[in-house]
Amino acid sequence: MANQEVLLKVEHLCQYFRLGRKDLKAVDDVSFEIHRGESFGLVGESGCGKTTTGRSIIKLYDITSGNVYFKGERIGAGIRSYQDAITAARTDAAAKIKALREEKDADPARKEQIREEIKQINKELGDIVDRNRALIRGARSSSKDVDKRYVETLLKALEAEYAPKFDAARLDSEKLAALQKEYKNRCRVAKKSKLITQIQMIFQDPIASLDPRMTVRDIIAEGLVIKGITDQAYINEKVYEILETVGLVREHADRYPHEFSGGQRQRIGIARAVIMQPEMIIADEPVSALDVSIQAQVINLLNDLRDRLGLTILFIAHDLSVVKYFSDRIGVMYFGKMVELADSDELFKNPLHPYTKSLLSAIPLPDPVYEKQRTRIIYNPIAEHDYTVDMPSFREVAPGHFVHCNDAEEAKYKQQLK
Amino acid sequence: MNKEIKLSVNDLKISFRTDAGKVQAVRDISFDLYKGETLAIVGESGSGKSVTSKAIMGISAGNSIYEGGEILYDGQDLTRIPEEEMHKLRGDKIAMIFQDPLSSLNPIMRIGKQITEAMLLKNKANRKEGRVTFNKTLAVLSDTIKKALAEKPMAGTSNGDVDKYIKTFDAFNIQAIKLENSYNDARTAAQEMIAQIDDLLFMTENKQKVDVVGSLGLIKSRLKEIGDKYFVADYADRLKAHAATLDGITRAERAKVSVFDFAKKLINNTASKNEASPETVEALKELRKTAQEMLDLPEYDFFRIGYYVYKHPQTDLSRMPADEANEMALRFLNEDFMDSFMVLVKQAVEYSFNKNIENKKTAVAGIESAIAFFRKGGFTAQDADKTVKRVTADVNAAIDPLAIVKDNVAYTFGSAFEREVEKYFFYIKNNPKEEARVARQTAQREALLAKGKKVDWKIVPKSVIEPEEQIETIVTVLTRVMDRFKADIAAAGSFDADKRCTEIIDFLKEKASQIVYTLTKPIAKEKAIKLMEEVGIPEARMRYRQYPFEFSGGMRQRIVIAIALSANPDILICDEPTTALDVTIQAQILELINRLKRERNLSIIFITHDLGVVANMADRIAVMYAGKIVEYGTAEEVFYDPQHPYTWALLSSMPDLDTNEKLDAIPGTPPNMIYPPVGDAFAERNKYAMEIDFEMQPPMYEVSPTHHAATWLLHPNAPKVEMPKIITERIRRMKERGGDRG
Repeated sequence: MANQEVLLKVEHLCQYFRLGRKDLKAVDDVSFEIHRGESFGLVGESGCGKTTTGRSIIKLYDITSGNVYFKGERIGAGIRSYQDAITAARTDAAAKIKALREEKDADPARKEQIREEIKQINKELGDIVDRNRALIRGARSSSKDVDKRYVETLLKALEAEYAPKFDAARLDSEKLAALQKEYKNRCRVAKKSKLITQIQMIFQDPIASLDPRMTVRDIIAEGLVIKGITDQAYINEKVYEILETVGLVREHADRYPHEFSGGQRQRIGIARAVIMQPEMIIADEPVSALDVSIQAQVINLLNDLRDRLGLTILFIAHDLSVVKYFSDRIGVMYFGKMVELADSDELFKNPLHPYTKSLLSAIPLPDPVYEKQRTRIIYNPIAEHDYTVDMPSFREVAPGHFVHCNDAEEAKYKQQLK
Repeated sequence: MNKEIKLSVNDLKISFRTDAGKVQAVRDISFDLYKGETLAIVGESGSGKSVTSKAIMGISAGNSIYEGGEILYDGQDLTRIPEEEMHKLRGDKIAMIFQDPLSSLNPIMRIGKQITEAMLLKNKANRKEGRVTFNKTLAVLSDTIKKALAEKPMAGTSNGDVDKYIKTFDAFNIQAIKLENSYNDARTAAQEMIAQIDDLLFMTENKQKVDVVGSLGLIKSRLKEIGDKYFVADYADRLKAHAATLDGITRAERAKVSVFDFAKKLINNTASKNEASPETVEALKELRKTAQEMLDLPEYDFFRIGYYVYKHPQTDLSRMPADEANEMALRFLNEDFMDSFMVLVKQAVEYSFNKNIENKKTAVAGIESAIAFFRKGGFTAQDADKTVKRVTADVNAAIDPLAIVKDNVAYTFGSAFEREVEKYFFYIKNNPKEEARVARQTAQREALLAKGKKVDWKIVPKSVIEPEEQIETIVTVLTRVMDRFKADIAAAGSFDADKRCTEIIDFLKEKASQIVYTLTKPIAKEKAIKLMEEVGIPEARMRYRQYPFEFSGGMRQRIVIAIALSANPDILICDEPTTALDVTIQAQILELINRLKRERNLSIIFITHDLGVVANMADRIAVMYAGKIVEYGTAEEVFYDPQHPYTWALLSSMPDLDTNEKLDAIPGTPPNMIYPPVGDAFAERNKYAMEIDFEMQPPMYEVSPTHHAATWLLHPNAPKVEMPKIITERIRRMKERGGDRG
């Protein structure tokens, strides 16, 4: 189902939050790719940074460092790593210069030579600073540039679409005027569009994420209004269409969120995301707050939408059975780090990282005999890994199967897979 | 069933009064909870699971109405007892864990205080209650002995002698209580001292600064309190030596505190803080060791010793090792008093039991005539009232006052019987009104419809129970107690009087020690810390002083469990305890609850909407839908052989690890219980629904003695329906997996 075109690429994403003097590393150096049309699951305990990852991608937070590419364009970039590089280079240079100056005082003979060396160091430092500053500037302006380029492509497409129409209507002045008006309108909308609206989000809590004072119509249409569409009839038409898509009826448009049950509210949340015709949806625990039977309804709906609209979905959840059922590939997160990433079948068949094993062993199944024999594997990172000498990184152990490990563990895992 | 029934819910009916009408949240549910088992109640939200559990706890919302039924626990009907009585049970005997741990903790109170609060309160209440029960039981015993003697005089035993015996029993018990009190005080002091030493050592180990001099002062004062001769026995000299050392190190520590510190103390009124020196730590560790040794010695049985001391006030048993002293005192007690007293008690027990059997026979005859009376019908209110009074008196007379395990059915018979009879007359009066209302509303509605108007309200279905049906209910109440009595009469031959005697004496002993046992704050703290460790909170001593917001979700839930367990309850109700938690934490909490159940022999009611969770926990499962239990059975039966379409739907709507096909979601939402459906409530969402499902409610069909389901599909004439493929597949896979493991 999934082709190999990379739709979203996350590179060394870091998201830190200030916590007094220290930083809370909510997401720390996470990299993954999502292909067009696939459903990518993200699992982990609460507090491991799944939601933060989702929100960072959609730019609800300014990311600390790393890059996020969507359709090949860099939509998000952090500057902390560059700043850190500058600071590190400065302290480094300062230390070196201090040492050299002491040497100079001790040995006047090499005065000239040392002065040269200091000059050299300063120059190198200047280079590093300039380079990183350029990168910071690039990161800061990248999202604007992306939108500019996106608007240009949209305008070009519009021009290409309307040029033949104008040609055809050249003789009919009335029609031409109407067409021109339409073209102008659409250009206005296009100029306001942003690439990021191609990614939409569904939130966990269907009660908290809907404004209780807005009708369902307002909630669903809000995105279109912000986009600059003023044609009320068009908006209504769209809203009705989308309501039916998500399994609600037209009459629901004029009601308020509190009049709906949990499952229906989540449908409204989905409708709000889908109406923007996104290419990708980030579903942040869309079923965790729902009853079992309603969960099934929402999961089926998301699956339908995926097939019908060709959506790509980043599915964040902590219920592993649901994630397994829903996702093509799964990434397991633990304390801000991605510890394992593989095809969902592969991950459940050959879990490599001890945390994944522990997580899989905790899934409750509706089978009393099995349940009474099930023993949970407890994950203790300190006892499990020895990272004192050999630092771990995120490596591909088998094709498509990535694990966060060091050299010794990589060898061990490869052995296991054989 | 030979298992002891802890709690039994019969035909419980609960509604809520709302602006829109009466919501029937729970409709006629019945279940029994056995000792040491887990009963899982599964269903969607709004199916009445939580309402049931809240009714058991007596914390239903203000607008709830108990429409009928009963919840029997320990000889009481929980739906009818006054709030003061409920107050004694709630939290103490029946504890509850709620879904959201944060909302059940007080955000501005430290964790430690919240855990110890219940313990301290309960201890106070227990001491009071112990005294009352002790006196009452003793009075009953004395009374029965006298009656027994009047019936069958014993040579050389007069009523005066009985009084003397009872007086002696009471007096030596008081003596024993006094001794035990003093002994316990000393023990308490020792425990408190250990707790204080632990605190100080813990702080020192963590390099925190402490008011060493002040703490040493406290420890010294506790040391002085350890003065009971039974407790100290051979340790007096060592304790004296320790006290001397303590004085020495206090002086040394005080010398360390500078003048500046003292000045600060005077100005700020804060303690001068310091790190304890190694010598101090060493000395305290020694002291702690001694105290712990003393605590680990075998305890004296003051019930026995009390008698010896009562008879020989001059002798001193404290030098004798506890085992020997216990042994000797027991011999003396038995020879001098117990043997002859036990003869009397046994006679009383036998007398009371035989008398009861007689009374039960009369009661059975009375009940039989009452059944005939009610069956005949056409009785007046006065007649019925008389019968009620007569039968109730009979049944109450047949309750053995000396039985320690209370008979729920007999104890609550009176109120249940009276209520049902009252209802009969209520229905006679109310039914015509109800019929008239429905007729009026129907006419109104039809008139509106005929005018072509849109009618957006429904008629509330009539709640009419024919008087004849009610008579059947009355007869059921009567038969139940009659059956119980008949069974008792039949089992009379195998009655063990000796066992009953021991039970009574044990009960009295237990109550006596309940009076004596005091719990002080430092000991409660130690207990709380132990409890916190038991539920798996690391660094409990440090965590003790933290606030709820400093804990993660799983830890908070553990604290809630610790609070629930602090009063040592019989029954634990878990209302979706893991729904707000993620998989690993959920697994930990479930393991914890399971372990506690095994260790403490708890009975658990586990409420959830996630069937996966209960597979691990539950011994039996009840599936609820729209206020009714639609299927119940053991976990294996419900998972491997589900019968009700709703259970199928629940099972098939959750994916497991091997599911690939489209999930069978349950369409729609549960029905609005203001207008409960006439037929099977699940019919509208059920793809296997038959016509009869819309017209009549199905009865409970028995699949096996432990497995019941309420669906018309089990009717012999019903067409054969296969359960959904997704479930058959899964069951096949599960069986294979089970087979692999043997």
